[in-house]
Amino acid sequence: MQILVFGLNHATAPIEIREKFFIPEERIGNFIEDLKGKGLREVVVLSTCNRTEVYLFTEKPETDIKVLISSMVDFLKIEERWLEDYTYLLKNEDAYRHLLLVASGLDSMVIGEPQILGQVKDAYRIATFMNSTGYLSNKIFHRAFNIAKKVRTETKVGYSPLSISSMACEMAKRIFGDLRKKKILTIGAGEMTKIALKNFKKEGIEKVYIVNRTFANAKRLAEDVFGEAYPFSEMERLLLDVDLVLTSTGSEDFILKRDSILKIMKARKFRPLFIIDIAVPRDVEPSVNDIENVYLYNIDDLKELSQRHLSDRMREAEKAKLIVEEEVRKLPLLLKQIDVKPLILHILDYVERIRKEELRKAFSKIKDLDEEVREELEHLTSSIVKKIIHPHIELIKKNGSYEVLETMSMLFKFEEKYEKEDKGGQ
Amino acid sequence: MNLYFYYVAFAFYLLSSFFYLLYFAIGKDSIERPGFFFLFFASAVHLFSIIVRYFEAGYTPITNLHESLSFFAFCIGGLFIFIRHMYGASVLGSFVLPSISTIVIFSLFHSVEIRPLPPYLRSYYLPVHTVFSFLGNGAFFISFIVSIIYILTENYIKKKKIPPYAMRLPPLELLDRVNVRCISIGFPFLTLGIITGSLWASIAWGSYWSWDPKEVWSLITWLTYAIVIHRRLLFGWKGRKTAYMMILGFFSILVTFLGVNYFMGGRHSYL
Repeated sequence: MQILVFGLNHATAPIEIREKFFIPEERIGNFIEDLKGKGLREVVVLSTCNRTEVYLFTEKPETDIKVLISSMVDFLKIEERWLEDYTYLLKNEDAYRHLLLVASGLDSMVIGEPQILGQVKDAYRIATFMNSTGYLSNKIFHRAFNIAKKVRTETKVGYSPLSISSMACEMAKRIFGDLRKKKILTIGAGEMTKIALKNFKKEGIEKVYIVNRTFANAKRLAEDVFGEAYPFSEMERLLLDVDLVLTSTGSEDFILKRDSILKIMKARKFRPLFIIDIAVPRDVEPSVNDIENVYLYNIDDLKELSQRHLSDRMREAEKAKLIVEEEVRKLPLLLKQIDVKPLILHILDYVERIRKEELRKAFSKIKDLDEEVREELEHLTSSIVKKIIHPHIELIKKNGSYEVLETMSMLFKFEEKYEKEDKGGQ
Repeated sequence: MNLYFYYVAFAFYLLSSFFYLLYFAIGKDSIERPGFFFLFFASAVHLFSIIVRYFEAGYTPITNLHESLSFFAFCIGGLFIFIRHMYGASVLGSFVLPSISTIVIFSLFHSVEIRPLPPYLRSYYLPVHTVFSFLGNGAFFISFIVSIIYILTENYIKKKKIPPYAMRLPPLELLDRVNVRCISIGFPFLTLGIITGSLWASIAWGSYWSWDPKEVWSLITWLTYAIVIHRRLLFGWKGRKTAYMMILGFFSILVTFLGVNYFMGGRHSYL
């Protein structure tokens, strides 16, 4: 059995390409079904805005990977030349290491960010739901979750909030201290906004106002985050009232310009205003930051800050990588533990020997046996034995847990001992 | 005897400063607690030393530089205890406590002996005028420190470059609130100090106002803080502008308090 990972991430592909590879959660099931139809058995598909990866567990890597790649090209309607330029294919130790790094947030754009573990868990959950996990994938993923937990508890990699929205929250607290009596206005209603708003909600922000060009979207987001939706025309009025502004529209031009913000600040008597612009292209004219008591942060500012936060976290990341390496070294053992081939061969050989032996006895008793009958008996016994033994073999292949393997070894007098599984991360 | 207690208070101030500086370096709340505890002790012992000195001298001991600086330090400590209690901005202690200790050291460089009270200071206005004035000065001293921190903090937030220690400084809005609180404490006291001083002058010197350097500078100080209040209410001079004005105001206090004593002479110089 081998572990493969095929895909791309923020380090190998620019956002335009990553977008093309992105598979929305509701379509991952379809993709897995497609792959299963083509003979792949254990696959887990992870797709976030920073990466799309397929984890493949297989006995025949060469053919399966070809199947996977061609299905991916068809399913996502992507150009084949991109595969060569932007994707990676990792095997066994490398693949396992990669999974561990991803799950513990060490492969993220912002190192140590906590959201990725949840995303990996979701990907795995979808795969189990689609019945595309097996003994090896179950085991590997569970161990990865344990390692991610271990990295989190034993190092300070994920110690302080690091993702973009957490950084925005952190800065808001630098300005306002307690956010509990603050109000935020959101312009735009995208997915990123939702994550950010949930973060602010966690900090106890009092009111969330949402405006959007398409009012229905504002309303839907408002329901999601317990905010209040207003028509776009209300924006200026709301700007007088709020303390924070979060913008993330798809607009090509600036939505908030220096002049209008200056006017608003005068009307607010220069009560501080924190503007977070996470839109690309930007929604807020950069010179707005020069206005007194206005603090404008765009997505690059926040990214840079969270990276800088990193310097001492880098050391922690090194520690975390040691934990990962230690686990990776266990992989050959893990694979060996569940290398069921010898057992299956033994069982087949074992029953075949019995069959042959019994047949020989029978033939020696019955004399002058017709060649045709002899052949028919061979055939018959062989078929009976196969039918009886088939469920056993299937059981071993599908659920090769320690108990099953041991029982089978006992039943069929298999000498080699299976080692008891050691729990990952302890 | 009063000096003995004063030294004990000084030792407590030093201990408190030590813990507050350590608190800033390490950032653990458990280190701030002993700092506050020692400050509390220092203030209590300090107050006791002032009371003892009152009985030993027979008059309110705020008449020369040693006594004024001592009382000034006491006011700052007391006001900081109040502000920490109200706003929890305990990091300010890392700046306030070393300042108090410095002022106490400074006070010990001046003559500490008890001298007979000059006749023109023998008045019920002595305790009233001096206590009001120094409570005002104490509040403005804290706002001076708060304002410096505000400007530094605001600067890094605007420039988006955050040095690691900066994460321990209080949030901007809290600093601004403390500043406003300092004005709302300091300004009435300053006003009362000037009014009582003027009433006292009319009795002691025969006129309410005689444009003596100390009087001129206290008027400048008063106007500076009056401008802050006026602008703030009307035009929203929040945050940075308030902070700059508070720093300016404190320099004016320094001139009024020390500059006049050391360099300008006039009827108000009491060394």
